[in-house]
Amino acid sequence: MGRFFVRRLTFALLLVVTVSSSALMLTRLAPGDMTTELGLRARPEEIARTRARFDLNRSPAAQLGGWALRAARFDFGESFLYDRPVGGLIRRAAGNTAVLAVAALAIATLAGIPLGIVTGSRRGALAGAIRTVSLVCLSVPPLLTSLLLLFIASRTGWLPTGGMTSVDAVDAGWSAWTLDVARHLPLPALALALPLGATFERLQAQAMTETIHQPFVVAALARGVTWRRLLIDHAWRASLRSMCAIYGLAIGALLSGSFVVEYVTAWPGLGRLMYEALRARDIYLVAGCAAMGGVFLAFGSLVSDLLLFAADPRVREGQTA
Amino acid sequence: MNVRLIGVLITAGILAAGLVFWRSTATPDDGAPAITVSDVPSRGGQIVTSGRAGPRTFNRLIGQEQFSQVLSMLTQGRLVRVNYQTFEVEPWLAEKWDVSGDGLTYTFHLRPGVTWSDGVPFTSDDVLFSVQAIFDPNSEGFIADTLKVEGKPIAASARDAATVIITFPAPSGPGLRLLDSLWIVPKHKLEGALKAGTFAKAWGTDTPPSEIVGMGPFVLREYVPNQRLIFDRNPRYWRKAADGTPLPYLDRIVYEIIPDQDAELLRLQSGDLDLTQSELRPDDYVPARRAEDKGTLKVAEIGLSPQADGFWFNLKPEAWKNDPRFTFVRRPEFRQAISYAVDREKFAENVFLGAAVPIWGPVTPGNTVWFWPDVPRYFHDVNKAKELLKGLGLEDRNGNGVVEDAQGHEARFTVITQRGIGWYERGVADLRTQLAQAGIAIEPAPLENATMIQRMVKSDYEAMYLRFGATDVDPASQLDMWLSSGNAHFWHFGDTSPEPWEARIDALMKEQLATLDQGRRKAIFNDVQRIFAENLPVIYFATPRMYYAYNARLQGVKPSVLRPVALWNADMLSVRPSGTR
Repeated sequence: MGRFFVRRLTFALLLVVTVSSSALMLTRLAPGDMTTELGLRARPEEIARTRARFDLNRSPAAQLGGWALRAARFDFGESFLYDRPVGGLIRRAAGNTAVLAVAALAIATLAGIPLGIVTGSRRGALAGAIRTVSLVCLSVPPLLTSLLLLFIASRTGWLPTGGMTSVDAVDAGWSAWTLDVARHLPLPALALALPLGATFERLQAQAMTETIHQPFVVAALARGVTWRRLLIDHAWRASLRSMCAIYGLAIGALLSGSFVVEYVTAWPGLGRLMYEALRARDIYLVAGCAAMGGVFLAFGSLVSDLLLFAADPRVREGQTA
Repeated sequence: MNVRLIGVLITAGILAAGLVFWRSTATPDDGAPAITVSDVPSRGGQIVTSGRAGPRTFNRLIGQEQFSQVLSMLTQGRLVRVNYQTFEVEPWLAEKWDVSGDGLTYTFHLRPGVTWSDGVPFTSDDVLFSVQAIFDPNSEGFIADTLKVEGKPIAASARDAATVIITFPAPSGPGLRLLDSLWIVPKHKLEGALKAGTFAKAWGTDTPPSEIVGMGPFVLREYVPNQRLIFDRNPRYWRKAADGTPLPYLDRIVYEIIPDQDAELLRLQSGDLDLTQSELRPDDYVPARRAEDKGTLKVAEIGLSPQADGFWFNLKPEAWKNDPRFTFVRRPEFRQAISYAVDREKFAENVFLGAAVPIWGPVTPGNTVWFWPDVPRYFHDVNKAKELLKGLGLEDRNGNGVVEDAQGHEARFTVITQRGIGWYERGVADLRTQLAQAGIAIEPAPLENATMIQRMVKSDYEAMYLRFGATDVDPASQLDMWLSSGNAHFWHFGDTSPEPWEARIDALMKEQLATLDQGRRKAIFNDVQRIFAENLPVIYFATPRMYYAYNARLQGVKPSVLRPVALWNADMLSVRPSGTR
């Protein structure tokens, strides 16, 4: 088990270093740099000052080296857009994204998996209707889902139309602030959860269909196990293996940023921060966001492994051996 | 049975959702309480506004992004300001001034009793400090350029604590208008940074809001990056309404950062937002009008935009290297042919959905002060366009629909524009269709902003379609575009050997800049517009009508064609008491 964690930690470290270094280099090598944000009327001295401040006068390799040395000491540089250290910006945005991702994951899991069990184990109108809704949710791009939900919220007033908190929560206490965040959460969380829940439903359904045709299921049925118990205790548990693999990746993807949803719903998370940093070629902010995305991906991968470990005895036995 | 039951449930659900949706979007019924009309501004309340991005700095003398202008207008003060409706200069922190006979020296008498938001008295020392900070070699930026005449900075001195003397190094046509950008910063807060050579870093966005003091109607209370800024009433603000009511009327302005413009419009329609920083896009006009019919929004026609989208070729010879197409691109007749080939009425219809008027130069009828109605025009005439092209040796010799020169070099170009801006992309698409009739082929290439700007600055393009904003209607505010040596002379960056007509524009612009007689300035600038329209370094087709939408509960909104559209007048904004409309 210890070796497993060491391997995972090494993998996570490599992932973070690779992702952040690649992001920094790609941003550096892409056409345009942050000085274009200063506008056409910027003076040459001002452009030179900015280039010097963000190491754009150094070669890409030298810049990467300098940044990596500083990053090893947890100094990720400064943001051009926000004129403040990248570390603080990322911490705050990552926290916001985590809140959103956990909510979206909870909705997607609680809806997607049970519905997948239903559609994978039975035929009929209900299963057909669920499949159709799933396919629709999978086909509609997140941008459209976000805008549609925003439109409904703006017309009905059922939910706040974007943002993470309302102005009234500024002077409120901690509990009122939490409630306010909870009111703002459903819209972006739903926008993220709908396609994800549909993915879970489809995968679970497929895994379930395959499992219930396995000989051990038929044998259990012959032994007189009830259909409901058979589904939950035998077939579902056996079908979890493929779900666990995708589940961890989904966690990683959700946490590492949901660009479109955060952008449209003005959720101040990592995805939106990364998008704005990329647009402005805010090189250290891009690298920092990518590093945090890498951390989340590694975390997702770890969760995936742990779930697999818990769900599949063969993995446990393999580890023990 | 089960199937039928499910069907019934689904149908009932859809009907119920439809009913709730209809109820929520329906206008109030006749049984609603009577609404009273109130035009008397009341004190108190808060409004929520929004913008695409937040600040990069709270230091106005350093920041030059769009938000900086909003921040300054809310929290800072100037000696004089340009009224964004009348475009006239009006007294602000200086209550009056005297001008010397030669027009070079202005003596400003500061308004008595004005204090900074922290209670420290405002004196002439603050003005002198601000001028010193603007021209500080360690931080000199865009504002310094606007406060120079013939390349030399203005000078400031003080007779006493309440009198400031500003001397222009040479006669200046715009004169006092230049001081619209002289934002006064507090000496008692920033002197240390200037002395330490760190003024450019002072008042960064991590500065505690209590440290940011000003003389504007509001003070910064809180900044949450990527979310919002909150501005509270400045209790020491100096201005009073005509009836003696202390301004501002509002207690608070909340500035939400909403990156997506579609989401912003939805929030405006829902009443979550009171106003925005920009005019409506052509596509937003119909939904905004619908919201106005329901009584949630007011839509005001501001007038014609003083800025317009331009189409231009890269006229920097080095950029074309040995490309033979430059031999005809550089000829004014070629660009005139393009101007003739475009039906501007149709262009206005297709690109701005009809809410635009044809134009023939960069100064539009929206600039009521400087527009010249007799500017040379090129009315739609495809035959005339073909004739001009033929005169340049360009004909469709191979019958493929595109004209080429005798050596077979086709008039085919890639046009760069900004990706994601609907009217830019529609504009290039419409030009493609219309120019094809004259045998000129263009290929649209929408690029994201950073790449596009880099291509432009490096002169790495053939043609572009874009718009440049202006901060004032006076041509002096765009000198860097008009002068061949200017930083924003975008059709030919780094122009060291201007064409004769460009040299003539240079001379005329310098002359009008040094002319104090406004009538004479206008006559000179008309001549500039004529030369520009004859040579067409940039071709203009239409300028949009500007519409501005804001929450119907607001009072005192005077939208301007300049940005920020409504917050330039923030101290006069108020909200109607609930129950009135």
